[in-house]
Amino acid sequence: MNHVVRSALAALLATSLSIGVAQDLVMATSAQPDMLDPHGTSATSAFQSTKSIYDTLVEVGRDGTIQPLLATSWSISDDGTVWTFDLAEATFHDGTPFDADDAIASLNRLRDADVSPKAEEFTAIREIEAVDARTLRVMLDQPTPALLASLASGWGAMLPSEKIAANHDFANEPIGTGAFMFDEWVRDGYLRLTANPDYFKGAPSIDSVTLRFVTDSAVQVQGLLSGDFHVIGGVATADLATIANRDDVTLVQEPSGTVLVTSINNRRPYLDDARVRQALNLAVDAQTVLDVAYGGGTMTGSFMEPGNPWLPSDVEPYGYDPERARALLDEAGVPDDWTLDMALPQPYEVHVQAGQIVQDMLADVGVNVEIRVVEWGVWLGEVYRGDRDFDLTVIGHTGKLDPTGRLGGYGDPDATYVGWDDPTSVSLLSEAAAEPDQTARAALYGEVLHRLHDTTPFIYFGASNRSHAHRANVEGFWMTPLLDSYDFRSVTVQ
Amino acid sequence: MVAFLARSLASLAVTFVMVMTLVFVAMEALPGDAAMLRSGIDASAAATDAARRELGLDAPVIVRYAQWWGDLVRGDLGDSFRERRPVTTILVERLPVTGALALAAFSLSVVLGLGLGFLAGMTPGSRFDRGVLGYTTIGLALPEFWFGFVLLLVFAIAWPVLPLIGLPDGGGAGAWLRHLTLPAITLAIPRAAQLARLTRATVLEHRQADWVRTVRAKGGPASLEFRHVAANASPGLFAPIALEAGGLLTGTIVVEQVFGLPGVGAMLIGAIGARDVPVVQGATVLAVLVYVAMNLLADVALAAGDPRAREA
Repeated sequence: MNHVVRSALAALLATSLSIGVAQDLVMATSAQPDMLDPHGTSATSAFQSTKSIYDTLVEVGRDGTIQPLLATSWSISDDGTVWTFDLAEATFHDGTPFDADDAIASLNRLRDADVSPKAEEFTAIREIEAVDARTLRVMLDQPTPALLASLASGWGAMLPSEKIAANHDFANEPIGTGAFMFDEWVRDGYLRLTANPDYFKGAPSIDSVTLRFVTDSAVQVQGLLSGDFHVIGGVATADLATIANRDDVTLVQEPSGTVLVTSINNRRPYLDDARVRQALNLAVDAQTVLDVAYGGGTMTGSFMEPGNPWLPSDVEPYGYDPERARALLDEAGVPDDWTLDMALPQPYEVHVQAGQIVQDMLADVGVNVEIRVVEWGVWLGEVYRGDRDFDLTVIGHTGKLDPTGRLGGYGDPDATYVGWDDPTSVSLLSEAAAEPDQTARAALYGEVLHRLHDTTPFIYFGASNRSHAHRANVEGFWMTPLLDSYDFRSVTVQ
Repeated sequence: MVAFLARSLASLAVTFVMVMTLVFVAMEALPGDAAMLRSGIDASAAATDAARRELGLDAPVIVRYAQWWGDLVRGDLGDSFRERRPVTTILVERLPVTGALALAAFSLSVVLGLGLGFLAGMTPGSRFDRGVLGYTTIGLALPEFWFGFVLLLVFAIAWPVLPLIGLPDGGGAGAWLRHLTLPAITLAIPRAAQLARLTRATVLEHRQADWVRTVRAKGGPASLEFRHVAANASPGLFAPIALEAGGLLTGTIVVEQVFGLPGVGAMLIGAIGARDVPVVQGATVLAVLVYVAMNLLADVALAAGDPRAREA
């Protein structure tokens, strides 16, 4: 009897608590958006937030495949040039309904190079028309299979046409159809979103999300352990063990699409010799680099993360063989006092650390490396672009939904920072970009990935793990594969 | 007095132009431009060019420089490259945080610095005096961010009585106060130390003066001696206190980073990284204005407190 009363009381208390308290989810993340206009930005940190505010026609599911969202279904004509989308019934946060006109206005805004840095992904579009309010037709100049991936990416967001026409300030006052509505943004502080009760796929179970921008990962971890944060977006390698050993927090590690490499400037003397680049690969113990600098990961032998369906299964990692590396370097006639300039991007501690490990490993095969740590603006302006002033650099190439995004330009010596010169790959890539048949496309990309292994422009490490952590009472949070966007729609807090 | 003020204003104006030019040139000389950072790592040359046009960066340097001054004269600091909003709006948004932090740190360092320095100066060689000397040595020798981390470790992690970082989202003045306590103490530690040293030295000097010796010789009460020293030592401390206030803005840059506060300092760091020239220039204008205002205040305060200064 006593027992029954007590459990009844406990149940009553529990329900009254869950009714009475507004459920706010607090997530700490290191990078904040530059703006909240998904058509105007190119920053991953912006798309991580805009994912909750805006919807796209299609989206990336947990398994990495493309799923319906604002488009409930779609069909592509046999010649690959006419795409028809059936649109869902949804409502923008300002109360106006979403229809084909909004989709047209949004796509046109995306195609405008003066608004969108991603305009080039949409150049194949010739015409867009509304068949009726719920049906959208997109006509292309040529088959462009990669377009679906662009529509599923953060920048493919749908905005209300009336507000586009009125030149609304989406960068600061975002309006979409998303599961969360914009509330307040204090730059360098926090971004608060409130649940959209009218979300077309069902209202979220939490009442609001607060994204707190905390640059120091040690502070993020402290905040998670103390319960100030429910979720943290990045866990530094040094803190992985601390978090893994706690019962009240859960560490989530999953493979990421980021391919970590030491990029080689193929224009430089000796580095223009494929044998030398192969030797550098053999001289580096990639698994050790992944474990020590990046907190674990999986090795790869080409410019695609392992497990990606586009990567042919017979492309193996180079393996660690300093003996053969020395032999290849001798064969290529590399001088004894050969010294390479390694530029490392200062804001990314992990890459700097990886560079130092590579420096040690290359010293073992008689190659001297001088490290130069540069600020991000300098790295972008002088290493990745501009004069391309470097022999070696360490960086991660983030995941792309479609191989065009990852491989575009490779083979053309002027198009990419590594200056890899392979005319065959250039023609294979242009053929693949317009190939509507996915099997034929895969064969073409597979061939390029083989070539990127054989005469490699990189020292391949592999793909890092993506880690985030949450309080044990938080369920349903996940990050989009490859795009790394945050999805709060099915989050519950017990 | 008027001539003196006019002279110092004129020299401050020249300084202002030089500082703004220097910052502009420095931002221009830094490799990597805003258009590239804006259009993203995967952008084509065409996309970067479009971004450059949109930001107005395709105009020659000298034209942009002239334009900036033209806008400034009309009270327009331009639009942020990164945020696409007027710089004045951004500054107004950021100022309360930095202002509150600076004010709290300033009050704390003045009360602590003057109090400790005065008492130490009145009791040279005592245990209290030696303690103050020890504190000022440590306070000046160690960088302030170090104190920030130690305070965080003690009061936010080991014994979590104060919040770890950031600002409260709502919660009113009490919540703000809790969030600003540790940053303000961090900022005040070296500044109070500096002021305490100066106060102590000034008090010691004045205690040797004839009029104080006379008071002491006549057997006047300790409070009278105290008053004499305070009245004579104070005017000499106005200028350093005002300069301290002017320099606080630079101190907040580091401390805002440590405590994750969304103030002017955090804005400036982000803007430099993004090559957001209008925001960097805007923050510099603000820093220079505060500095100038504090300098003038020091002059006026000195004139008010010391009749001899009014003659000049």
